[in-house]
Order: sequence, then C-alpha cells, then structure tokens
Amino acid sequence: MLKHDVIIVGAGLAGLRAAVELKKKGIDAVIVSKVYPTRSHSGAAQGGVNAAFDENDSWESHFFDTVKGSDYLGDQDAIEILTSEAPGNILELQSMGVVFNRNDKGGIAQRPFGGQSFPRSCYYADAVGHMMLHGLFDNVLKYKTKILYEYFVTSLLTDNGKVSGVVAYDIKNGKFEGIAAKAVLFATGGYGQVYSSNTNALINTGDGMAISINAGVPLMDMEFVQFHPTTLKSTGILVTEGARGEGAYLLNSLGVRFMSKYAPKAMELAPRDVVARAEQTEINEGRGVNGAILLDIRHLGKERIMERLPQIMQLSIDFEGVNPIHEPIPIRPGAHYSMGGIKTDYNGRTAIEGYYSAGESACVSVHGANRLGGNSLLDTVVFGRRAGIDIAEYLKSVADDRKFDESAIKRDEEKFEQLKKSAGKERHGLLKSELQEEMRASVGVFREETAMKKALDKIGELKERAKNIGIDDKSKTFNTDIVEAFEFSNILLIAEVITRGAILRKESRGAHYRTDFPERDDSNWLKHTLATLDGNGNIKFDFSEVAITKFKPQPRTY
Amino acid sequence: MEFKVRAYRFNPETDEKPYYKEYTAEDYPGMTVLNALIKIKSELDGTLSFRRSCRSAICGSCAMKINGITKLACKTQVSLEIDKFGIINVEPLANMPVIRDLIVDQEVFFDKIKAIKPYLLGQREDAAHNRFKTLKEGEKISQPVYDKSEFKNLTGNEDTPNCILCECCYSECGGVVGNKNYLGPAALAKLYRYAEDPRDNDKNGSRLVNGSKPNGFWDCVHCQSCEQFCPKGISPVKSIVRLHEKSVKNSITFSPGSKHVVSIARSIGETGRLDEIKVAFESGGVTGLLNDLPVAFGAGLKGKIPPLRHKLIKDMEDIRLAYKELDLEDKL
Repeated sequence: MLKHDVIIVGAGLAGLRAAVELKKKGIDAVIVSKVYPTRSHSGAAQGGVNAAFDENDSWESHFFDTVKGSDYLGDQDAIEILTSEAPGNILELQSMGVVFNRNDKGGIAQRPFGGQSFPRSCYYADAVGHMMLHGLFDNVLKYKTKILYEYFVTSLLTDNGKVSGVVAYDIKNGKFEGIAAKAVLFATGGYGQVYSSNTNALINTGDGMAISINAGVPLMDMEFVQFHPTTLKSTGILVTEGARGEGAYLLNSLGVRFMSKYAPKAMELAPRDVVARAEQTEINEGRGVNGAILLDIRHLGKERIMERLPQIMQLSIDFEGVNPIHEPIPIRPGAHYSMGGIKTDYNGRTAIEGYYSAGESACVSVHGANRLGGNSLLDTVVFGRRAGIDIAEYLKSVADDRKFDESAIKRDEEKFEQLKKSAGKERHGLLKSELQEEMRASVGVFREETAMKKALDKIGELKERAKNIGIDDKSKTFNTDIVEAFEFSNILLIAEVITRGAILRKESRGAHYRTDFPERDDSNWLKHTLATLDGNGNIKFDFSEVAITKFKPQPRTY
Repeated sequence: MEFKVRAYRFNPETDEKPYYKEYTAEDYPGMTVLNALIKIKSELDGTLSFRRSCRSAICGSCAMKINGITKLACKTQVSLEIDKFGIINVEPLANMPVIRDLIVDQEVFFDKIKAIKPYLLGQREDAAHNRFKTLKEGEKISQPVYDKSEFKNLTGNEDTPNCILCECCYSECGGVVGNKNYLGPAALAKLYRYAEDPRDNDKNGSRLVNGSKPNGFWDCVHCQSCEQFCPKGISPVKSIVRLHEKSVKNSITFSPGSKHVVSIARSIGETGRLDEIKVAFESGGVTGLLNDLPVAFGAGLKGKIPPLRHKLIKDMEDIRLAYKELDLEDKL
C-alpha cells in the first residue's frame, strides 16, 4: 500500500500542469501513468495554442469565437475563464521554459486557426504540443515529483462519498498496488481508438472515462466526437490545421477549392466540423480523389514549409510517400478529439468529493458541440492549473478520515487472473478492429438512426463475444496482452455511451450531424446529456442546463 | 506479399536465454514495422511484447533495432526493409538491460536526463511578466520581448528541443559502450538546450562546470553515431561540440578533455606543430604522462618518436593570421 495526498493519473499536459502547481506548493503528489510521461499523446499536438496577445485582438473576441465554435453548447462561464486566463497561462509556461517562435516585434509568433477571427495561435513550428509536454515534464523533474510510470489504473475507490484512492497494475512486474489519497485527479485523455482511421495514439482508450462512469460519475456530452478534417489518407496521422493557417488549399478531384460552397467567408479556415462535413460531402458525391481530398501547400514555397511545417512535411514523406513541396497531400476526416468527458466544474471538481478531472478526459464544458483548433492545449493548461490550485485549497480543510478498501486490490487482481485462465477463443485485437470499423461507418461524420441502431446491435454482439476473450500471455513481466484486453473493455463501454447519446440527441449541432434531423433545435436540445449506469449496468441519460451568460444563441455561419 | 519477421524473444520468467522466433505476415502498401508487430500480436501471438504509443514518430516509444540498425518501428516501411534484407529482424535497443522481448529498462537513461538539471536555473526575466493574471474586461497583457536571434539555436527543425527521448542515439552511442556512466548524447543535447536558452540564469556557469566533470561532455568519443541514427534529424554531437566551445570560451578548463584542446591549440599556435609530449603533460599532468608511457613506448619501438624540441614551421605567420581570424589569439 502506498499513501500520498494527491494522485494524478495521466501524465499528459493537464496532469503535468496540475503536478507542477501542487509540487510548487510543496504538496505530496504522485503521478501515475500507463506510459512514461513523454510518451503521452499531448506531444502529438502540432499547430498551436490560442491566446489573445495582439493589441488589435482581445480575449473577449476569443471568448465569442469559442462560444460560436461550440455551437452554443459550451458553458459560457467556463469559456470566459478559458479565454481571459489564456494569455497569463501562456506567459507563465514561457517563463517555465517553453519556447515559442517569435514575431518581428519580439513577441510570441501567432498564426490563424479555424473559426478564430484573429491570428492568435501561438506556436513552436508545427510541434507545439511536443514543446509544451517536454517543457512541463522538465518542470516536473525540477520539483522532484514521484512518478509511477507504466502503471495501469484499474479502479477508483471511494469511502462515504469521498474519494479514497486508486488501484493500479504495475505493468513491469504484474503486481497490483493500492494507492490511498485524499484527492485524485484524472487527466487521462481521450478515446480516439474507438474509431478506425483516427489521429490518436494507441494508448488513447478512454480508460479514465470508463473507470469514472463505473464509479458513478456522469459522462457529459459524449455524442460529440471531433473529426479532424486533415488526417493522412492511409494512416489517419494528423496534419495540423496550422497548414491551413499558413494558407493551404483544400482541393477536390476537379482541382476546385470547394470550401467556397460551404463557408464562403472563412474558406479553409472554417471550424473543423464544417470542413470535415464539406470534405465528406465532396467524397460522397464523387468528387474525391481515391476516397480522399487534396491538401495543397505547394504555393507556400519550400522555405516557408521547412520553417513552419517541417514535421508535417516529414510525416507526409514517411507515411504517405508524398513530398508536399512538390505534390498535394491526400487527406480525409479522421476521429480526433472528444468534446465530451467526465463532467466537471471549472475547478475540475466532479460529482465525487476529492475526485477531479482535467484535459481531454474532462468536460467542463468549454468546447460544447465542437472544439476550435488551438483550444485543447489551452484547456489542458488552464484547467490543469486550476485543478491543482483547487486541490491544494481542498487539502487544507479536509480530514484524513477515509478508509481505503483493500479488498478492491484483491478484486482487481482476481479479475486479471480469471482472464488469464480463460479458455476463450476470441482475440481482443480482432474484436477491437471490428468495433472501430463499425463506429467509423455508423457513428461518424454523418449520422442517422437506422445505421446507429445497427452499430448498437454490433456493440451488443461484441459484448457477448468479449466474454470469450482468451489471453495468450500468462506471465507477470510486462504483460501488454492483458493490458490491451482491459483497454478494449474500456473502449467498448465508451463506444456504447457515444452511440446511445448520438441516437438520443435528435438534432444537428457542431460535430454531431444527423441526416435525419439536419437542423439545430435550441428549444429541445440546448442542453447537456449526462450518461450514468443504472443498477444493472445499463446506460441511462439525464440532462443539465447550458450556462449562457453573454452570448445568446444565433445561427452559426462562416 | 508474404514476408517473415524474426523477433528477439526473452521472458525472464520462463527463458534461460534469449532466442529468436519467426512469424509470417502479409504486407500491404505503406505497412510499417510497427503495423506488422501489432498485426502479429493481435492475430498470431499475444505474448510478443514491445512498447508503442503515437505511431507517428513523436512519442519515442517504439525505438528498436531493425535489421541491426536502431530505428523507430513506426516510421520504418516494411517494403524497404524487405527489399534490402529479405526479412524483418527485430531486436531490443543496446546499452540498456532487456526487461522482456523488445522492451528495455530505461531507468538509467532517464536518470541521466534528470542529472543534467533539465530546466531553467532561476529567472532572468522581468518578474512582472511571470506573474499569472486573469484579464478583466477590456484588459490587455504585455509580454516580454526577445529578439528572434536569441532563440536561434532552439527554434530550428534540427535543434535539440525537437528531441523525443526515444533512446536511438543512446543505443548506438560509442561513448556509453566504453563507459556505462557516460551521460550520453540525449542528456548532453538537453544540457546544451538549456545552456543556450536566453532565459536561463546560470550565474556561476554550473551547467558547464558540471558537464565538464567525468562522464560529461568531454567523454564523447566523436563517433557521430548519435547524429547518424537520430530519427528526428538532430545532431547531439554538434551540441556536444558547442558545449566544448562554450566551456573553453568561459575558461572552464579543469577537465583533461578541455586541457587537451587548449594545449593542442597552444602548441600549434606557438610552433605550428603538435608537441605530443607537452600536450600529454598539459592534458593529464604527471599521472597522465605516466599513463601514456606504455603507448609511447610501443610507438617508440616502431620508430615513431616525436621530436623533443620543436622548431617554428616556415608558414608560422599564416597560422598566426588564421588564429587571428578565428579569434584564438589569446591561446598564443
């Protein structure tokens, strides 16, 4: 048994930012992560992080753009915090060692991003997530933070309605460990692996969200899945929105910049939901190029590409066999980001006392029905920081009065041992592929009831077959086979929550587009969905109000 | 097309020693070695163990030896390897102990990263700019001004902040082969990254002093492997050479390596020739000289004895001119 004041699960940007805040105050916090921190998926973010710095820009404009981008589903009290704290957060990161490219005046260089009315995305070439992740990790080392890496968290424990700790599986030696704490923060990221053709790391399996709903914490707005408009055709690897920020064109098979039809003013820099739908429409109507759209950056010239977009140049060469200096890049929409997640307030608090979440795993909600590019990195640092501060305050007043239920360690261990003994013939890797393909086909960019009900049937079938999963690997040392089996059970649960939420919401808003209900319906659906499990483990839904403070919903055009 | 993967296997619970296991897989256009390993694991053998995360060459998880060469499995195309070698041989990284199959123990590697203090030491910035602030209505924020040139060695594509800590360089490093305690290329490149940061406030030059101690940047053997094997196109050895220059310029010359460099420069500057005996003495002192004796003796037996007295070479004026151009006059 280990004991700490705070457990931070997940070592991406939100987790590390919270850790720095806590360690700076001398608080005993431990980071638990299933991978070494620098392997976290925050590092793959490419294009930028938004903050209003320019004298002709304002945080209020960033505030409005984000509300409009969210299709009015974002909570405006939270978005006000996100945008008014943005510049301060970026300068703080800079003073902690993060490097940004400079503009000619010596300030932080900024580029245009989709749905933003001003160029306000701060960047480090096209690897800003990498820069921020390593910069924050270096600070975590500075404060000598204890890191339990390659530990897979299996349960969240409570006592008398308060959080009491977690159970974790030490992947290196197969031992289960109980870790008691007064506060637990889940910064466990998204679930991109629910879909085939996604931009996400293989580790993004929605573990934190699945553990939360199992522990009775509601998941909010899970039907809103962002499809990124520009992912490499063959692999789904991300091509930054920064490419369009730098001036890239989207072309169909006729060589036409088709965005003029869908977003005549914003063109390629319309928000992601709008561009992804436009691309899918072009492809569906036969104007694609072998099932893809072309992203053309040739006119930017070699020098600018090498300076501003070196990573995507290399990725196009290595993964698509295309040198974007000479040829357009074949791209298509791919699952990218989860607007929904563990329901929190703007200090990261959830329904369970002492239990927090921040970053992509959380739903504050600042992104509503559609996140704007450059707002997710911002979300991680603003709300990671705020969660750290709130936890520190919480610890001052709270007594160490909760019991850690040690039988839970045995219970989780037993679950793993049972699975190892199973003589089942199903392979979790293959079941995962079937699920991913079904979700892509039926709960993707365009949605419709009949197809989604078919997806639900498929999920039901996979749940049955999952009872017969067999595990090849019986050993204790670095058993990734068994970890992947549990990750599969997590994405299966998350896929069902997404699908049921998407069937329930009979309107089109942001990234959730129903061909059978193509209009936004504010009178019935300007509300959040909250998913929980009933006593039999079935998913049920409640609703909560959207916080509307400054901006009344208007039609959303670009 | 079918192809074979030959994987290094070792499970400490069941195997006395490592062995190789062969698998057959089906190729498709664009398939990477990581794709192949994942396919084998999910369809044929769940016990095959390796690390992976982003599959887009940014997280650094899947570094391994592929047909003998350290690479990221996620950005290595199967077809190119098959064309060249006819098979995909996969083995764990070198210079680190194997935990299981393709998974190595990275603890020492990361301890070395920690050892160089990878963060800004103190702050040189105007403190007002560090203070966090929530903006009120109509309020703007002012930001510190840095000229582009101040970050010129930190913002290029191939500059060290782009390092993903994948351990490819460490696995191939000749310095680590000879000395397990040597910090290695990734840690030293990181040391350079912070030494070069205009915001760093390392008042007494502690970075360069600590880096000059044994196992630090003077222990690089200049084999260039780190540059050759970096999947991100970074050259750690270039950073190491710049650290050498920086420390000599700042007169941090207590290490035998730096004394060696200074002594060679002085010898050439004085006579135009390399006075090997003097250089040996100035680099390592009497002990150094004694340590070198067996080598010198061996060389002597083969008739390779350096002259005891050195005369000025004919073109000495040209050398002085070159030193002046290179700003090395003070070494004369």
